[in-house]
Amino acid sequence: LSVGGATKASAAPSAESEPDPAAEAAACARRLGSTRGPLEGVRVVEWAGPAAEYCGRMLAGLGADVVKVEPPEGAESRSVGPFLGDEPDPERSLAFWADNVGKRSVVVADDSEALELCAVADVLVHTLRARECEERGLDFDRLAALNERLVVCALTPFGHSGPWADYEADDLVLMALGGSMAACGYAPGRDGTYDTPPLACHGEQAWRTASTYAAIAVMASLVWRDESGVGQFVDVSAHECSASMTEWHLMAYLCSGHVHTRGPQPTLQAADGRHVAALNPDFLGPHVFTGMLEMLEGEGVAGPLSDPAFGDPVHRAANYKEVWRAMKRLAEKHDGESLYRLGQKAGLPWGVIRSPEETLDDPHLRARGHFVELEHIEAGCTATYPGAPFVAHGSPWTMTRRPPLIGEHTDEVRVEWLGSTLEERT
Amino acid sequence: VTDGALQELNAPAMALEGVRILDFTRLGFGAQATLICGCLGAEVIRVESTKRPDPIRVMPPYVPDPGSHGEGFGAATLANATSAQSANRGGIFYKYNTGGKKSITVDARHPKGLLLLKELVKLSDVVAESFAAGTFERWGLGYEVLRELRPDVVYVSMCGFGHDGPDASHVTMGPTAQALTGLTHMVGLPGRPPAGWTFSYLDHVGGYLGAVAIIAGLLHRRRTGQGQHVDVSQLEPATALSGALLLDAQLNGRLSRRADFPSGNRRAHPPAAPGGAYRSKGDDRWVVVSCRTQEHWNGLVDAMGEPPWATGERFATVESRIANADELDAHIQSWTEHLDRYEVMHLLQSRGVPAGAVQDAADRLERDPQLAARGHFFTLGNSEVKPLPLEGVPFHMSATPADAGGAIHRGPPCLGEDNASVLGEILGLSAQEVASLQEEGALS
Repeated sequence: LSVGGATKASAAPSAESEPDPAAEAAACARRLGSTRGPLEGVRVVEWAGPAAEYCGRMLAGLGADVVKVEPPEGAESRSVGPFLGDEPDPERSLAFWADNVGKRSVVVADDSEALELCAVADVLVHTLRARECEERGLDFDRLAALNERLVVCALTPFGHSGPWADYEADDLVLMALGGSMAACGYAPGRDGTYDTPPLACHGEQAWRTASTYAAIAVMASLVWRDESGVGQFVDVSAHECSASMTEWHLMAYLCSGHVHTRGPQPTLQAADGRHVAALNPDFLGPHVFTGMLEMLEGEGVAGPLSDPAFGDPVHRAANYKEVWRAMKRLAEKHDGESLYRLGQKAGLPWGVIRSPEETLDDPHLRARGHFVELEHIEAGCTATYPGAPFVAHGSPWTMTRRPPLIGEHTDEVRVEWLGSTLEERT
Repeated sequence: VTDGALQELNAPAMALEGVRILDFTRLGFGAQATLICGCLGAEVIRVESTKRPDPIRVMPPYVPDPGSHGEGFGAATLANATSAQSANRGGIFYKYNTGGKKSITVDARHPKGLLLLKELVKLSDVVAESFAAGTFERWGLGYEVLRELRPDVVYVSMCGFGHDGPDASHVTMGPTAQALTGLTHMVGLPGRPPAGWTFSYLDHVGGYLGAVAIIAGLLHRRRTGQGQHVDVSQLEPATALSGALLLDAQLNGRLSRRADFPSGNRRAHPPAAPGGAYRSKGDDRWVVVSCRTQEHWNGLVDAMGEPPWATGERFATVESRIANADELDAHIQSWTEHLDRYEVMHLLQSRGVPAGAVQDAADRLERDPQLAARGHFFTLGNSEVKPLPLEGVPFHMSATPADAGGAIHRGPPCLGEDNASVLGEILGLSAQEVASLQEEGALS
């Protein structure tokens, strides 16, 4: 990877010497206090709405210098709740905090100020439709003329082409059109009719999937830029991303005409009322039932399952009710957390159903150093954020910056990237 | 950049061209990671076993036998699907193994098999696997060994709980990880047990992060010359998916285990009213409508023909619509239930109102002109299966288009189909040597 960003001679801090990417990267690392994340020294301009903020968060954690470009009143996501102490304020939006941790913020008065940053950046992530890009002169051809090394990524609901390109969508619409909603919800009544609707998971999952794909495409474009010397345009359709995350459903339809619908999950209710996802993946091999039987016998609840006939998978499948009854007898004896651990001890992929905040206490995640505490001095609190999405032993995840205040780094970034503040220039 | 200019650059046609991945992943989670890299042009060599085939190769549903069903897919019966069973027809395998993957069958427990694998490691940029922690070490292929063979190898392991930590021996499937990280809890109606997902969403998300790990490892290696071990679990990729809920609980004390959460399809931030899925004409057909602004509401009222109930004070502002959401939902459904879901969608979209049909897999394939226009489905076959629509990666790259068939434009591989070509072209073995390795059992 050529690091240090695209350096246009006209905009470089010092025009007399040739840019030295390696030296720039090292300097950048010193400035940012980076611990050599894989994207160290990569300059990202995030000039985007809420849909793409999770992409910038990921690139920042991988070591990129992600600069969020905001209007003077602050980015759109700052108006989204919940707010700290339920006090609506652009500096107290927890929705903004969750997805903007690790970034710097620069306020721009107009497009031309943002374009100055794009001229010396490696990556631009935006959320503009094709029509808007054209109207504002931000289409890829014009951006490439400004900075041929720039990787431009547009994350939009339906992509930059196709009959629905101008349609409106929020996460709920994308979860509906993409197919995950049709496959989530409660079982039908005894007569087979549904009295509850299909359900979409909270947390903006379609946007997050699209943001993750955007990060992958941007990183792959950086790999290719090393060979070609030029950037390219990445067009991410959140609808397509949402449509490709429903596992085997398309194949099931192609193979058998079967359309996957929503319905019950193998869930046990434990003695304390908590629920446990209690999968019994018999298809993985005979060891699965062996482990299960040993556990059930050890707890004295195996009942008819001790009959050797149950050693035959065909018999088991035909008499699955007995297997499930034994599992329920086990569940009545234990609380959720210990039922989860009992199943795991028997080699079964069981998991207690936790609320998001209950993951904060998970001893395994804590031991892996997953969570990161960051102080919000101005707001007077310390917040714990989910950190590294994987443990990279040679290039650790970095998350040392709390989410930025509006325009907090305007002067700092302009000096580092452009050589002078706006005031000094005028 | 124009096509002509790109040719002058003499740059690779695909983004990850020239990257070789030795791929030991199985099931969905691991295979999702390498399929993404394959679609971006990496050479992905699946190392498999005929004795212990990837379970998703032999699980239903099965891609039907040619001639065993009528015109087109979707017409096969369960009976002929069963007759179609082989290691090369597992439908789930097809979902997770596009990207032009190749397949070789090597027995790692055979001394010569292990030797072959070690020779391949020397010539690979990335080694990816998704076994339980400790399995690869037992085979004699732990990171210390890999690093000796290939000092700058990027080794990406993908297993449920990762390789370190007190619960590293735990196992997961998608729903396990979804339960433990809050994803299951976030689907449901108030006052009822969680509904959760009927499928493994985190096989996808975990796989995406596996791809991020691979590409990040390659970028790091280019800059530093160093390889590394990246330890991917199925839990850590998921914890940030709950967004602000985690902060709301910590800082405001608003726990998401409470009576009015999860709130079905209603969203509080930003609020929408109406916002949800409404019955439309047909059997269990639904359409989503989501009005967050006054403009959205005005568009909806116009589309409904300005019914008297909608034009009064009761639903005049965002606040009043939220306060009267139950009543509003009943009104909306009394309009949608007589209409086709797509008709509602297009009526509203033509007025700038966010709306979408609740689509299933058949709808996406047959009734979604947007996916068709975007080239979402690639028609690919292999030496045993006739071409069928498969998915690759869901984004467009202007200079290096991705391909669900990878650099070799081929559908998911038949088991061991590339033994001769991979061992011949990469290791320089003759056909005779390959045959005798087969006979000795090193190739299984």
